[in-house]
Amino acid sequence: MKAVLRRGFHFALTVGPGVAWITLFLFLPSLLMALLAFMTNDPYGQPALPLTVHAFTQVAGYSFLGWSPGNLEVVWRSLLQAAYTTVATALLAYPLAFFIARAPVRYRPVLLLLVIVPSWTNQVVRTYAWMQILAPDTWLSHVAVALGFLPQHMGLYPSSFAVSMGLVYNYLPYMVLPIYASVEKLDWRLVDAVRDLYASGWRVFRHGVFPQTVPGLLAGIILVAIPAFGAYIVPQLLGGDRAMLLGNLIAQQFSSMPDWPFGAALTLVMLLFTFGGLVVFRRMARRLNAGEANLL
Amino acid sequence: MRRASAIDRAMQGMAIATLAFLWLPLFVVVAFSFEPEAAAVHLTGFTFDWYERVWQQGGMLHALFRSLELGLLSAAAGTVLGALLAVGLHRYRGRGFAILALIVYLPIVMPDVIYGISQMVFFNYMHRFIGWPSAGLVTMGIAHVSFQIPYVALVVYARLVGLDRNLVHAAADLYASPLKSLYAFWLPVLKPALIAGFLLAFTLSLDDFVISFFTSGPGSVTLPIYIWGSIARHGVTPQTNAIASLMIGAVLLVALAQTFFQARRHGYLSSHGQPSA
Repeated sequence: MKAVLRRGFHFALTVGPGVAWITLFLFLPSLLMALLAFMTNDPYGQPALPLTVHAFTQVAGYSFLGWSPGNLEVVWRSLLQAAYTTVATALLAYPLAFFIARAPVRYRPVLLLLVIVPSWTNQVVRTYAWMQILAPDTWLSHVAVALGFLPQHMGLYPSSFAVSMGLVYNYLPYMVLPIYASVEKLDWRLVDAVRDLYASGWRVFRHGVFPQTVPGLLAGIILVAIPAFGAYIVPQLLGGDRAMLLGNLIAQQFSSMPDWPFGAALTLVMLLFTFGGLVVFRRMARRLNAGEANLL
Repeated sequence: MRRASAIDRAMQGMAIATLAFLWLPLFVVVAFSFEPEAAAVHLTGFTFDWYERVWQQGGMLHALFRSLELGLLSAAAGTVLGALLAVGLHRYRGRGFAILALIVYLPIVMPDVIYGISQMVFFNYMHRFIGWPSAGLVTMGIAHVSFQIPYVALVVYARLVGLDRNLVHAAADLYASPLKSLYAFWLPVLKPALIAGFLLAFTLSLDDFVISFFTSGPGSVTLPIYIWGSIARHGVTPQTNAIASLMIGAVLLVALAQTFFQARRHGYLSSHGQPSA
């Protein structure tokens, strides 16, 4: 009896505080948001009873002005930007990961550091730097003007393009590192076997190399797609009204024009896509036999 | 064979271009912090004036101290809670694993906008009903601790898993009082993991902007919030570049010191990417 009590006491003492903290300050706030989504916005911008699904019809685009696709467009645009970012970072990450993995052993730490250090610099700094690079009359804008992408004396930001650029830049290291981890462990004997079967170029990569890097790629996709979908800093600094993403639309409902129930409903939409995506993704990973994609 | 080597060279070129892409913005920020003309788009000269102004204005130093205060206090609390959690879950492994997975996954996969805003709303209601806490360092600290706990728990848990189980049983069998086994066994054994966890928690706190931004209040302006505010008020100015350059310099120093020490210890660098905003 005494032993059981002591066990319970020990369990409560160790696991208790952390779990209580996270329950109180993370689960409870999330539940509160879920509740707010079903309330109505009173004239003072405060959530009020009764419980309705009004906020969700607002997400779908219905307002007292009739229907408009604006909100759904923002959700769609966020999904697209997350997709672009994931594809672009993967395309850039592969050559870089191979480059580092095939460099002489003593240079690898330095090369890795070159990838990691920029991501240690605060995201606000990393993003506003692009405001300067994409501003009007810089060399990059001159090139864009010369190629006919831009009218004279215009900058490349704010725009959807600038947002894509910022997202790819910010999340690239989170794609490079897990892919590098897989490439470093690559079994080159398998690749040689594929070569011995007279496969060439693309097919060596397709059948010999790529399957071995899938776990890293999957981890990279999770680490890039989720934060890119929920991005706030990048679209806020580099996007205009027409490049707004879901994170900014949510933030707006809690600051400048408060409509908490609407904001909370948008939050649930974001969480739904995030967790839905994770579930689908885990199924895919299992089918590809890549296990938990060495994420944790 | 010639074709293959051309492809190889193209890939190498792309890799080097990608590295340049990663560093270009940092170079631009540092270069323009020395540019005398405030609104220049091309470099025209060299000056230290902007650094002097940053120093004179004092707001930045104040923000830096807030960042350090918040980072140290939250990391201390986060390390204690995270380490306890890891110890408990390790000892009651069967029962705890599902909870660990849930607790560890939620803060990592939840987009930080949602994280910050739901806490802001929650603290707002709490303040309205029980008069505590008001938005400021306290709310920011609470928010930071809640995202640090899982990361510290992961680091400490990894160390516990690598530990010899017999050692743990021996420590439990020798009739030491819990307090005695804590300082005679657990603390020395877990010291490296505790230090690593604390440093990770501290870095996460310094690096965070979004969650801090939504849970902050008057008088709790940290360095990233200070930079954000100055961009919102004045746009990008040479002073922002000067502050940012100082941050980049500090990060570089830390990175170099770390590589140096690790190169001396194991001869290679361990890469720990931290998934954050």
